[in-house]
Amino acid sequence: MSDEVTPTQTSTRDSPSTDSRTDDDQRNPILRVEGVTKQFGGINALDGVNLTVDPGMTGLIGPNGAGKTTLFNCLTGFHKPDEGRIHLYGEDTTGREPPAVAQQGMVRTFQIPRELADMTVFENLLVAPMNQHGEQLRGAWVRGTQFVEEEQAIRDQARAIAEFFEIDHLLDQPAGSLSGGQRKLLEIARALLTEPDIVLLDEPLAGVNPTLEQKILGRIKELVNDGYSFLLIEHDIDLIMENCERVVVMHQGSVLTAGSPEAVQADERVIEAYLGGDDV
Amino acid sequence: MAVADFVITLLTFIAIYSLFGIGLNLKFGFTGLIDFGHVAYFMIGAYVTVVLTMPAGAAGYSGIGGFALPELFAGFGPLGSLLGWILGVLGGMIAAALVSLAVGVPTLRLREDYLAITALGIATILTTVVNDEEWLFNGPFGINTIHTPLREAFPLSLGSFTLNMAIFGILSLATLVGIGYWVTKLFQRQGKRGKIILGLLIPLVTTWYFVLPTLSDGMVAFTRNTLWLFDPTAGPNGGLDYDRFVLVLSVTVLSGGYWLVERTINSPYGRVLRAIREDEEVPRALGKETFQYKIQALMIGSALAGAAGALWAINIGFIAPDQFGALITFYAYTAVIVGGTANNKGVILGTAFFWGIRNGTRFIDVPSQYSIQLAAARLILIGVVLILILYYRPEGILGEQDYDISLPSRDSSGGTDNV
Repeated sequence: MSDEVTPTQTSTRDSPSTDSRTDDDQRNPILRVEGVTKQFGGINALDGVNLTVDPGMTGLIGPNGAGKTTLFNCLTGFHKPDEGRIHLYGEDTTGREPPAVAQQGMVRTFQIPRELADMTVFENLLVAPMNQHGEQLRGAWVRGTQFVEEEQAIRDQARAIAEFFEIDHLLDQPAGSLSGGQRKLLEIARALLTEPDIVLLDEPLAGVNPTLEQKILGRIKELVNDGYSFLLIEHDIDLIMENCERVVVMHQGSVLTAGSPEAVQADERVIEAYLGGDDV
Repeated sequence: MAVADFVITLLTFIAIYSLFGIGLNLKFGFTGLIDFGHVAYFMIGAYVTVVLTMPAGAAGYSGIGGFALPELFAGFGPLGSLLGWILGVLGGMIAAALVSLAVGVPTLRLREDYLAITALGIATILTTVVNDEEWLFNGPFGINTIHTPLREAFPLSLGSFTLNMAIFGILSLATLVGIGYWVTKLFQRQGKRGKIILGLLIPLVTTWYFVLPTLSDGMVAFTRNTLWLFDPTAGPNGGLDYDRFVLVLSVTVLSGGYWLVERTINSPYGRVLRAIREDEEVPRALGKETFQYKIQALMIGSALAGAAGALWAINIGFIAPDQFGALITFYAYTAVIVGGTANNKGVILGTAFFWGIRNGTRFIDVPSQYSIQLAAARLILIGVVLILILYYRPEGILGEQDYDISLPSRDSSGGTDNV
C-alpha cells in the first residue's frame, strides 16, 4: 500500500482521513468505492475494487484487461456490480441506473466516442444540459417565456463550450462528419454541459495527435482549476504522471496501488504488472 | 362518377393513412422504435370510437355497448352531437395509447429487432382476440352501425341551386388556385432532377384530371371536376355532399396531428427522442430517463393511429377485424420509407404515392381477364420502387427533415439559430 490514502479505506467522511489534509471540505472524497466485484461468466473482471477519488484530476492506469472500463461501467450504472458499494458524495449510488447516476453529478464519456451522428454538433451539445423545461412533453407543447429563456441560455452555454474546445466552427455540421479528435472534444464538451461534479473520461487521448492531446489536457486542467473533477483512464503513463495529482493503478480486476505520481512510479509492483508479471 | 369523386375518395384515404403514418413516423422515424404492431392501435381507435358513439342495442350487434355519446350530448345545442363524437374519438385515442403503454412497458426493454417481432406478435394476438371473442366487439361480423358525425346536415345546401353552385364553386376554384400556387412554388424550389420529375408529373395529372374526362364526357365532366366541392346531384338544390365533408374532416384531423408531431419534435423533447434513435446510451449517460421518453413516443404515435382508425370507420361505414391485418402496418412502413423517414411531409408524399398507385390505377381500362395481373403488377411496382429507394436513397425521397426551435429574436444578431 502506498503512504497516501486510498485502497481499502473504510474511513467515513466525518473523520479526517489523513492528517496531511488541511481543507477538509475540499478534500473529502467525491467517490468512494468499496469492494466492488463484477463477474462475466467465470471471469472476475473486477475483484474487490477499493478506492477513493478526491477532487482534482485523478489518473486511472493499468494494463489491458485490468478492468478500468468495467469499473467505469459499474460506477456509472451501465453494469450492476455483483458485490460492493459505491458512494458518491457519501450517497450510496450502487446499482442505480445511468440516468440517476448522471443526475447525481457523475457523468462519463465513452472509450469509442459515441456521437449522435445524424444530429448536428450543436444539437449534440444542446441535448446535454439537464432538467430542461422543454424536455418534458408539457414544456414542449405549452411554451412560455421560461421555455424561450432557457433555450436561449442553453444555446449560449453550448456556443461558449464549443468555443472553449475550438469546435465552434463545426456547430452546423452533422456530428458523424467529425474527425476522431473532434469527436473526443465533442464528447467531453457534451459531458461538461450537464454541469457534473466529476467526469469519468475513458481514454480521451487515445488516437489523438500530440498537438490535440496537449490541447485537450490543457482544457482539462483549466476545468480542474474551475472546480471540476476528473477521473481519467489513459494508457500513456508519462502523460498521467505529468498531469495528474493522484494516480490509481489497476491490475487484474483490483487496485494495485494508488497515490502521488512519484509514489506510484517508485512502486515495484506497478512496473512488474506492466512488464507482464502475473504473480504479483 | 366524375373523376372528382374518385379523387375525393382517394384523398380521404391518403389523409387517413397519412395520419396513421405520422404516428408511425414519431415512433420509427424520430425515436427509432420499430413497432410492427402499429395497426393494432388503428384497430383499437376504430373499435373504441365506434362503440362509444353508436346507439345501444343495435340490430345484429352482440358486443359491448354502444354508449351513444353523441345522443347523450345532443341536448347541448346543435353541435352537441359533434362534441359527443369528438369525445368518442378521444376515447379511442386514449384506449390506443393505454394499450400501447401496456405493450410498451415489457417490450421496450428489448433490443430493437426483438421489439419489432414482439410488437407484430401482440398485434396479431389482439386482432385474433377481436375476431374470436364475439361478446367483445361482435367478432368476425364486424360493426355496421357506425355513427357518422353531422350526417343529417348533408348534403349541405345554402339555398338555391345557383347560390350553392356559386359559393361552393368559388371555394373550389380557390382551392385549385391555391394548389396551383403551391405547386409553382414547389417547382421553383426544386433542383434539376426535381424539376424534371415535376415537369412530367404535373402535365400528366392535369391531363388525367381535366383533359381526358372532358374529351370523353364533354363540358359537364369538366365543370364537375373544376367545381369539385359542388355536387349538383346531392339533394334538390345540389350542394356539398358527405364524402367531401369526410375529406375536409380527415384533412383537418391530419393537420392537427401533423402540428402536434412537429411541435413535439421541434423542441428539446424532440432532441432527446432523436438522441435515443441515434444511440440510446448517450442520453442515458447524460442523465435522461430514456425509457419514459420511449413510452411516451409510443403512446402518442398510437393515439394518432387511433384517431386515424376513428376516421377510417366513418369513411368506410363498416369495420371488421379482417380490415386490420399486419399488411396495413407494412403499407405504412413502405410509405414512410419511400417518402422520407423522419420527415412528416415525406410521410404524406409517400402515402400519396403508395395509395395513388394502389388505388389510383383501378380505373385503368384493361380487358377483364388481365385484372388480376394488374392487381399484382401494382404491388410489383410498389416493391420495385421500395427496393430502388432503399438502394439508392435510403433516407427516402425527401430525406430527414430540418429541425428548428424558433425563438423570438433577442437582438439584431441572436435570433436566427437553426438547430
